[in-house]
Formats: sequence, C-alpha cells, structure tokens
Amino acid sequence: MIVTTPKPLDELLDFLSPYTNILIAGCDGCTQPPRGLREAKTLSQLLELGGKLRNKNFTFKVTTVAKQCDNYLAASILRPQINGVEAVLSLACGIGTQTLAEIFPELPVFPAQNTHFMGAEEREAGILEERCVGCGDCLLAVTGGICPVARCSKGLLNGACGGSKEGKCELDPEKDCAWILIYERLKKMGKLELLKEFRPPRDYQLSGWRVTP
Amino acid sequence: MVSQKDRAQVEEVIDEVSGKVYLPPCQIACPLGEDIQRSHAMLALLRLEPEEAANQIIEIGNEIYEKNPLFPICSYICGLCEKECNYKDETGAVRRKMLVRLIAEHYLPYLETKPPLPAPTKEKVAVIGGGPGGLMCAYELSKMGYQVSILERNPELGGALQYIPRYRLPQEIVNSVINSLLRIAHIEVKLGVQMGDSGKTLKDLKSEGYRAIFIATGTPVPRPLTMEGELVKGAELEGVIFGLNLLYEVNQGNVPPRLYKGKRVIVVGGGNVAFDVARTARRLGGDVTLVCLECEDKSSKDGIPADVEEIEGATEEGIKIVYSRGVEEIIGEDGKFRKIKCPRCTSVFDEDGRFNPKCDRSDVIYVEGDVLLVTIGQAPELAFYRQEGLLNERGRIDIDQLTLMNNLKPGVFIGGDVKRVGFAAEAMRDGVIAAESIDRYLKGKELGVGRKKEYESAPILKGTHYKPQPELVWAPVEERLNFEPFEQGFTLEQAVAEARRCLCCGPCKSCKACVALEFQPEIPEIKYNEELCIDCGNCVFYCPCDAIKFKSPRGVRFDMTLCRACGLCVAVCPAMALEMENWEREHISALITKAASETEKPKILVFRCQWTVLPPLDRKFAPNVGVIDLPCAARVETFHILEALQKGIDGVLIAACPEEDCHRQTGSKEAQRSVVALGERLSQIGLQDRLHFCTVAPRHPEELDRELEQFRQRIEAIYSKESR
Repeated sequence: MIVTTPKPLDELLDFLSPYTNILIAGCDGCTQPPRGLREAKTLSQLLELGGKLRNKNFTFKVTTVAKQCDNYLAASILRPQINGVEAVLSLACGIGTQTLAEIFPELPVFPAQNTHFMGAEEREAGILEERCVGCGDCLLAVTGGICPVARCSKGLLNGACGGSKEGKCELDPEKDCAWILIYERLKKMGKLELLKEFRPPRDYQLSGWRVTP
Repeated sequence: MVSQKDRAQVEEVIDEVSGKVYLPPCQIACPLGEDIQRSHAMLALLRLEPEEAANQIIEIGNEIYEKNPLFPICSYICGLCEKECNYKDETGAVRRKMLVRLIAEHYLPYLETKPPLPAPTKEKVAVIGGGPGGLMCAYELSKMGYQVSILERNPELGGALQYIPRYRLPQEIVNSVINSLLRIAHIEVKLGVQMGDSGKTLKDLKSEGYRAIFIATGTPVPRPLTMEGELVKGAELEGVIFGLNLLYEVNQGNVPPRLYKGKRVIVVGGGNVAFDVARTARRLGGDVTLVCLECEDKSSKDGIPADVEEIEGATEEGIKIVYSRGVEEIIGEDGKFRKIKCPRCTSVFDEDGRFNPKCDRSDVIYVEGDVLLVTIGQAPELAFYRQEGLLNERGRIDIDQLTLMNNLKPGVFIGGDVKRVGFAAEAMRDGVIAAESIDRYLKGKELGVGRKKEYESAPILKGTHYKPQPELVWAPVEERLNFEPFEQGFTLEQAVAEARRCLCCGPCKSCKACVALEFQPEIPEIKYNEELCIDCGNCVFYCPCDAIKFKSPRGVRFDMTLCRACGLCVAVCPAMALEMENWEREHISALITKAASETEKPKILVFRCQWTVLPPLDRKFAPNVGVIDLPCAARVETFHILEALQKGIDGVLIAACPEEDCHRQTGSKEAQRSVVALGERLSQIGLQDRLHFCTVAPRHPEELDRELEQFRQRIEAIYSKESR
C-alpha cells in the first residue's frame, strides 16, 4: 500500500480559501486506513468548522473513487459530479492527485495528504513501514523475500556492513538490520549459499519513469 | 405486535458450524440451565435507588425461580457453574453462588407472598420421595397443570437436604423454600408413607388414580466399612455409628449441644459428607480426627475428593486429617469402641478407574478414640424396586437414560441419586426430565423425540481485562464452632461489582438482559451494504468478538451468534458500508438535531455508553446538556461528533466505561483512540477544547457529574469569551 498522512488542516484551509464549492474525492485504493467516503466526509466537516472560524463558508461535495490513479475510472466517476465545483481536494496519494489534475486541467486540484512511501502495516502495533522503493530490478527472490534496497539504511546489495549491532542498524538502533533479517531467513530456508553470490551495483536506469505493461 | 416481554425472552442460538446450541459454559454446566449470564448482567445493571434495586432483584429472582424454585437452597450448596466459568483459570470463577445467595436474601421474604400457579386440573401424578429430585419434578408437573402428590417416608420433606449441616444450609431457608413451593405449585404431600413390604405398592397408587409415577428415593443407606470385599469386624461395638445418622439427628435437634465434649472422635471417609460429619462432631465439642483412604494431593488419581474449602475449613477448626489409611479392624474393649487398625492405602482406584482400594497390611498404625463415625458413602434401598420388578437381571435399575422411564414398567419414571449419586442439582435435573417425559407419556406422545441436545461452549472474548476474584470471608474459628452459617455474604455493592466481573461469554440472544431492562428494544443486527464495502478488513480486525469473517473472494460475513452489538465495526468502516439496527447513523443524527435545538446555550452534548452509566439513565441534567445513550462508546463516530459541532453544539463529551470495565472488551479503548485522534485534528483549527473523552466508573454517576461540571465550566468560559 502507499502510505500517506493527512496534511494539517490550516494548510488545506489556506489552499482552499479562494474557493467556495469544493469536491472532496476519497480514494478506496491502497492506503490503510483507506481514505474513502468516511474520511472525505470527516474532512469536509472539519474544514467547514475551520472555515467558519475564518469567516469562510465552504460548500462541500464528498465522494470516493475505487482507485484515483486509474484515470479512466476516476474520470468516469468524478466527471458527472464536477458541475459547479471550483476546486478539488484529493485524499489519494500523490499519484491519484496528479491523475485528477490531469483529468480536470481547468480546475485546481489540491492534495489532502502527504505521500511517504510504499509500505506495509504492522496492524497490532499500528505502524507503517517502507517495504519497496520501486528499483526496477527486484532482488526478493535471492534475499529471502526481504528487500535490502528499501530496508537497509545504506541500500547495500552485499550486506551486512560492519555497523550492524545485535541485529540493529547503526544509523537507527530502532530499526532491524535488513541484512541480518535476510541471513536469518535464508538460514531457515537452508539457502545460505545464496549469500555467497556477489551482486553487482544497482542499475539506476531501471528505476525509470515509463514502462509498457 | 410483539410485546416487550416476548422480545426479552431468551432464544436458543445454534452455532452455524457445529449445529450445537451455543451457550456460556456456566449455563451448560448448570444442570437446570439457569440463565446465568442474564441474571449477572441484570445484577450488573442494577439501579442505584434502593427501592428500585430491591424490586429489580425480586424480578431477577422470579426469573431464576421459573427454572429453579429451590435456588435459595442451591445458593448455599451448589456452585457447579463456577467450576466451568471461563474466568476460572484466569483470576478465579465469578462467584455465582454468592450472587444467588444475595438474590435469595432479597427474594425469601417475597417468596412467602408469591402468587400461586393456576390450580392444576390435569391427571394425577405421584412422586415418591420428597428430596430435591422429587420436589423439582412435582413443580414442573404442576406448572404443566398436573395434580401432584409427593409421598415421603420421613416426617419431613427435603431428602438429602436434611443431612446437610445447618452451618452450611440454614434450616429456615430449607423450610421456607419447600413450604412456599408446596403452596405455589399446589403440591399435595403425604408424609410417613412407606412403600413396599409394609406399605403401599405401585398397584395401590394406580388404583388411587395416579396415572404416572416418578420415583426418586435417593440413597438413604450408609455404606458399612469393608476391607477387600469383607465387612470390617467390630462395627457392632458401642460408639461406632454412621456419620449420616449423626447429621440427621443433629438437624432434627435430637442431640445435646456438647455431645462429644472431652471425647476423641474418629471420622472415616474423605468425601464432603465425611467433612460435614467431622465438622459437626467438632461443633459438638469433639476432638476430631478424620481418616481417609485418599492422599492429600487432590490432583492425583487417588486424591481426596472433598472440596478444598472443606479441607481448609476443617483444618482451621482443628480437625486432624490422616491421609492414605484404610480401616482393617475396629477394636473394642468391654463392648466399647477403642481404636481402629489402619494399614497404609497404596492405591484407591484401579487402572480402569474403579474404586478398588489396595492396602499394605505390613504398614499399620492405630488411631484411638471414643467414637467412630463411618461416612464412606451411601447406597440406595432397592428392595421396593425389586418387589415391583423395576430392576434388570443384573439387579440394576432399568431405565431409558434419555427419558428416565423404566424399561419394564411404562409410566414409571426413576431418577435422582437412586439412579446415580450426584449433586442435588443433578437430581433436580432428573426431576425436570421426568416431568417432561410424564407429560409426553400422558399425552400419548413420543417420549424421546427432539430431546437430545448438544452444547457448544462460548469462549472468552479477546482483549479481556481480568479483575481479581473476591475472597470469601469466614467468621474466625473461635466464633464459628456452632451451627450458625459462618460464610459472610456479599453486600449489594460487592454483588454488583462481582456481577460486573462476569464476561457475558454467551451470545446476546441467549441473554437479552439489556432488552429485559428496556435499554434497547431488541438485540441489534449489523446491516452490511456489500456494494459499498471496499474489502479493507478493518471490521474483521477490530471486532472484539471475532464475529466478522472474510468471505472468499471478497466481502465479509457477520456471525450474529458471536456479535455483541457494540457498533465498533460501524464506527471504523472507512466506506460507511455498515449500519447498526436501532442505532442507525440517521437515527443518531436526528437525536443530535433534537439535542441541538432543545438545549440552552452554551450547548453540551454527551455521548454516553449505556453500560457504564445506565443505572441513573433517567436522571435529569442541566437545561444546556443533552444526552445520547449508545450501546457502547465504540459506537461513537467522528462523523457524529463533528456533526454536533456543526449543528451548533458548543462542546461534546464522550463518557465511556474504564477500559478494564468495558462490557465490550476493546470498545472503550478504541473509542478513546478515535476521539484522541479527532482531538488532534481539531487542535489544528483551534477547537480542541470542544471535545472531551472521559471514563466513568460504573454506578458512580457523581463521576459523570464531576466531569460534566468541569467540562461545562470550560465550555462556558469559551462561550463567554466568544460572546464578548
């Protein structure tokens, strides 16, 4: 999932202050918790209360889209609702927000969220952690399903480095050393010989900006 | 139109997977199937006003009475439910017995005036034996409209209850309960009636017009001492008596209060009755030693069978216990008892689990005394059964285990201890079973159809906080060596606190206490809009009851047998795909609108969990305070809090149970989490002071008053600043 956090409300109020009729578009897609219909509604309520305190009366429409990053899907859902709307506030990640900006070139589209990374949730602890950087050359097959590019602070491909201490990273003692995790996992799988293979430096060209599906 | 009373009737909940009846484990353990969870929930929600509370307790008593008219007696001698309580292995079982005792204390005065059942008009039925089994059968039959007569050999009813020492079961309770039962159920009693040889036959009863007969004559015959199948010599000596006879005579008042003063009394036996005898002898002034075959370690297969409380109590009272000793010979002098010869018992039960004691006769001790009380069990008196042809060729009572009808004589039903020695409540269950069979028999219906039921026990919910079990308080030894009860009962407050410890493990529909108390019109269902569902799984993750499961390939399904109707799933659903019956979003919105228009400025709205603060539900609040009661704080949605502020409410207070007291396990905690998160966002626009979350201890409305007063001052300060 793509991990986002809400922007402060005063920042949003600053964006929106020139406009009155606003569409808040939720996204049911990949965030956790999903910023869908409920968050769109909650945000509209908060902004309305915040607007009143600034002597500003907004009129909100709230809706949600299964995946805002799908321009075809987003356009079919949102276009019929756009009549009279002066600005769009997107609850999606940066991708969804950009998609809406493309769909509605004549309208200002604002992000309601800050987008952080591609990650996963530790549900019991309620923590989200980065798991993938989109490097374009997936190594998970040989690293026991644990990504050193995303999870090693130094992005090492032939770890661990000398700074690993009691399984933790020297740069952040809270963080597990990804290479120790890889070692333990491969050991459990009986595939430690995979570690003997040298991996050449990453080809940064692979994390390019366009691919054909 | 279904009446409120009908809606409050418990329903049988069948587990979807196993097809079994799904119940809390205590209720399955209770031979009479008392609605234990329901009465605990009702006690937990007792009103604060003493008079209303007293009426409510009588209502609870009426409900228990319906299934068990002997419950005041059970509240002194039973406790089978506690053995299966889910809490047992955590911090100790919920003390149901003491809770029922409190209910009984309030109920007994009312019982004297309780209106009788309608006079029975159907066929005559005879019950032979006036113990718990017979009384119960008579009551059930009378409820069904049959005219019942109990025939009892002794000069009083009660059967085995008459052998229980008064310090454990007060006489006046036995008398009051039995006399009221006879009056209420129009039961005719014939005392001193002998059956068999010197008395009546079944044929006589038939000719007297009895159309069916239930026989529950118990086990009145004390077992004599034996060693390897042979009777132990010396039982005829002066001073050797059966403990059971002592118990009966003491209860009848036929024994001088200091009978055993200065005497050394030996009690043989390791069961609860032996301890009754030992503690009775101690109360009669004796210096008591108890000798038993079994060893001290209760967890061993040969461990002493008496309850821990009995062993502890007896030891405190100065009774010495000699473990792992049999009795080979009773030795006397001049015809009087002097001592017993006790070889070491090496094994009590054989490999098949049968009682088959083995002793090492080379390892012998002698225990000296003046009196020997033999209390090693009781047996039925089968002569009458033999004469009437009720035994099979092996000499056993020949009955169908499901219906209790004798296989040889239709219309004759047999149950209770005579069938198999057990607890009083088990004999009472036989009475209920026999009554049902007799009804079917007299109506010419199939006796066994649809009666075999299997039960599935409900587990503890997740996220449970365990509170310690209250200690039982006994009078100090020097004050309790008499026949007055020495166990201190609960006060009302203690009882309510203990009832609140009940986890209500069973499904809502098998309890419905909240419906009976009119907190809600019925157990709400969760309505699921599959079209809106986005498969995020939040509801599955947050549900404290594991009632929501993923469906393959998409969507979720709700198992309403497990649902406790807290509404947490509704509040956490990001797609607003869930609704809760009776607490729909729109309905709550309407209540908010009403509160916003009816309250005075500055307007305060309280969302209150009905479980924590319900007892004072009807209390009046200040004119600027509106209150919305919710099934659990978990049902509070950010949507409604913000809506209230939008509609002109100046401050919103959420009153939840303390986390460890939450009736819905994680409900209070999750409500707090979401309110705190909302508070952080409100602080970004300067409205953080308009929202307050607090916990209120159950039955302490003054805590809510205090929180409300502080909050009111805060909101008023903001309001006066704004108005300026």
